[in-house]
Amino acid sequence: MRGLVDLLGPSKVLGARADLVVYEYDGAVDTATPDAVVLPESTADVSALARFCHEHAVPIVPRGAGTGLSGGAIPVEGGVVVSFARMARIVEIDAANLRAIVQPGVINLHLSTAAAPYGLHFVPDPSSQKACTLGGNVAENSGGPHTLAYGVTTNHVTGLEIVLSDGEVVRLGGKAIEHEGYDLVGTFVGSEGTLGLVTEITVRLVPLPEDKRTLMAAFETMDAASETVSAIIAAGIVPGAIEMMDQLATEAVEAAVHAGYPLDAGAILLVEVDGPRDGLDDIRQRIETICRENGARSIRIAATALERERLWAGRKGAFAAMGRLSPDYYVQDGVIPRTRLPEILRVVKGAGERHHLRVANVFHAGDGNLHPLILFDLRDGPEELERAKAAGLEILTACVEAGGSLTGEHGIGMEKNCYMPLQFAAQDLAAMRRVKEAFDPAGLMNPGKVFPTPSRCREFVLAAAR
Amino acid sequence: MTAIGIRAAAPTDAAECARMLAEASRDRRTVRVVGGMTKSYIGDVGDTDTEVRTSGLAGIVDHVPADLTVTVVGGTRMADLADALARAGQFLPLDPPHADHATIGGIIAANSNGFWRARYGGVRDLLIGTRIALPDGTVARSGGRVVKNVAGYDLNKLITGSFGTLGVIVEATLKVLPVPTARDGVVATFARGPDAFAAASAIARAASRPEAVAVERTARDDWRLIATARGAAAAVARATADARREIKARGGSAAIAADELDELRELPARATDGALVRVAVPIAAQSAFADTAARLEGFATLVADAASGVVRVHVRGDDDAVTRGAEALLLAARMVGGGGRVERRAEHLRARLPASPTRTNGGLLMRRIKDAFDPAGILEPGRSPA
Repeated sequence: MRGLVDLLGPSKVLGARADLVVYEYDGAVDTATPDAVVLPESTADVSALARFCHEHAVPIVPRGAGTGLSGGAIPVEGGVVVSFARMARIVEIDAANLRAIVQPGVINLHLSTAAAPYGLHFVPDPSSQKACTLGGNVAENSGGPHTLAYGVTTNHVTGLEIVLSDGEVVRLGGKAIEHEGYDLVGTFVGSEGTLGLVTEITVRLVPLPEDKRTLMAAFETMDAASETVSAIIAAGIVPGAIEMMDQLATEAVEAAVHAGYPLDAGAILLVEVDGPRDGLDDIRQRIETICRENGARSIRIAATALERERLWAGRKGAFAAMGRLSPDYYVQDGVIPRTRLPEILRVVKGAGERHHLRVANVFHAGDGNLHPLILFDLRDGPEELERAKAAGLEILTACVEAGGSLTGEHGIGMEKNCYMPLQFAAQDLAAMRRVKEAFDPAGLMNPGKVFPTPSRCREFVLAAAR
Repeated sequence: MTAIGIRAAAPTDAAECARMLAEASRDRRTVRVVGGMTKSYIGDVGDTDTEVRTSGLAGIVDHVPADLTVTVVGGTRMADLADALARAGQFLPLDPPHADHATIGGIIAANSNGFWRARYGGVRDLLIGTRIALPDGTVARSGGRVVKNVAGYDLNKLITGSFGTLGVIVEATLKVLPVPTARDGVVATFARGPDAFAAASAIARAASRPEAVAVERTARDDWRLIATARGAAAAVARATADARREIKARGGSAAIAADELDELRELPARATDGALVRVAVPIAAQSAFADTAARLEGFATLVADAASGVVRVHVRGDDDAVTRGAEALLLAARMVGGGGRVERRAEHLRARLPASPTRTNGGLLMRRIKDAFDPAGILEPGRSPA
């Protein structure tokens, strides 16, 4: 602690108990207190602190805005939390090259706002985009509703400046679409802070779509809505977004946002198509027809930009609105092939019933990326969280067995690292560990994340063996 | 296992392939990985002790049209996959060179893209899962069969463009799309390169979303621009109208495009003499780069994927001019923040003109990764990036 203050000055280091507890949390359910928090202001600061940590074998845990949903920013093995709140400058908007260079602490939405005068935007739009940082997006390979047609963070990053755990500064990629040698930019994105610290990011900017059509369809059942999703995709239409919400989620969202969603529908689909104005209404018409053929009870088309924004505000505010239903929730992020939606949604329902917990669903249906929100109340005791996690594990197991993934955009973090063997065999994890060791041979970057750790995962491994 | 000769072997499944690599590792025998043999000109790989052919590793594992994904064995030919997908009304939105014989594994290993990248993404964007046979004898899986997946490190990215130096791609899962209903395109000529690139840039970022925007310059004096669109009829009509307007605004004359792109795409197949330099530069730097290229002694052809900034230049003539020209082009690419390599050169130039990729950042990390995956250094010697 004193060493860090000597190195960086008192204004960049927090060590008082009252300051540290603020960094115990992120958007998920696990907590741990850091030994110190550092607020670097430059790449040189980051490099100096990494060298210091390397010398003293102290774990380094990068942190953006703390909105992560898998405990990625939690210092589970202690050490220094590095907050990028003071490295939040948009370095350059290079409209001619369709690129921007940003520091990691820049808030996602601020970049799109800054690019808008050039007719450009940054595509990944996580629901937390008003708060989450681009450094965090790089770490988690974040998605969002509009990544169905246009890709997630990894598809939109072409260059990085990173600091390795020994303090070395490495520049990877740049403004060109590809670079000689291994694609280390692509390898780094989504590594959840376990390979190094990001100090600068070069991202793609994409022309804003000329126009959009946003449609909300209400269905009696989740099954009917799921079939509709499959039918839309099968018809050769790849909308910008297809989001689904069940009745419980709708209830919470309506109370909070008054988006105008029907409260008595079993499921709601929010479908958006964008692109050149020509032909857009034809596509919207085709989607409308498919919805009706699959039993849509009512369809509403956003007539104005304001109405579209309200429909989206409901969707993006859904997690926050859960507070109206329950004091606590545990959100899962499993992915399945989209054709398996109806059966896995039944598994979700069953898991909630078995554990006597309510589950609300609000998710990226077009990608098959589920977000069951398992509602619980910690005031009833700590075992409530354990029950929620048990229900979550049942859901994830079903996702993986259906050929899917433990996580579509929230990351593995410390929340699901023990579950990794469900999806990956020993040799798969061994290959990933080789990459880890190449970047971070000392093992100081965000320990206890992504890979199963023997101490914390013993119980789970034993349970799985039984 | 099918014995092809003393030095070549064609495993018939992933485990056998991994076993062969493990044996080669143990015996320190160097290995070259061979798919459709279409891109063997790339890099400085010389004779190896062994050749592992993926011809016995072919076929479609799984195709669920409604999921828009397909899983294939690494040695599957792109053309065979395209046929199978077409029967379901779908296509793999990649248009790499040598598509008639190239295999999916080879296309991934060489990060072989075409003109469609700006519209649909490149190999790295379409590849969602792989199984890789490694020199330690294991077969490692990364990603999966779902379109969105952040569980674990994305080794799909690491393997894309790794030229077989880390392992053999034995299976790949890719995103596919429904075949669009309509297509059209325009071709235009310009007297000046900057006008051609300005038009290309405007077309590439138009709201109407073209499928491909290419610029070509041959030893003739004019610059040719080709822009194509596919999609719903109304969108295609709009895209070509937009393209014509941008062309006209910059003094070009437009006509209806035929199959010009097919010819441009195959420049690497034709450039058997002299040297073919391939660079990736920031898109706005293409015009200046192309101008430099066209002034070179021995300049023959330039083909740019103008929407992505990938430019190929064929230089021919006497060996000195070719060597100087290739080196000048790589330097020019570096000066504008890009990079590249000599993708192909005449056999007799191999010793004199190395593939010499421009120095790349992160070389130390690349070497550590290479050593971690292939500690005996058996795979594709001469093609490793560091």
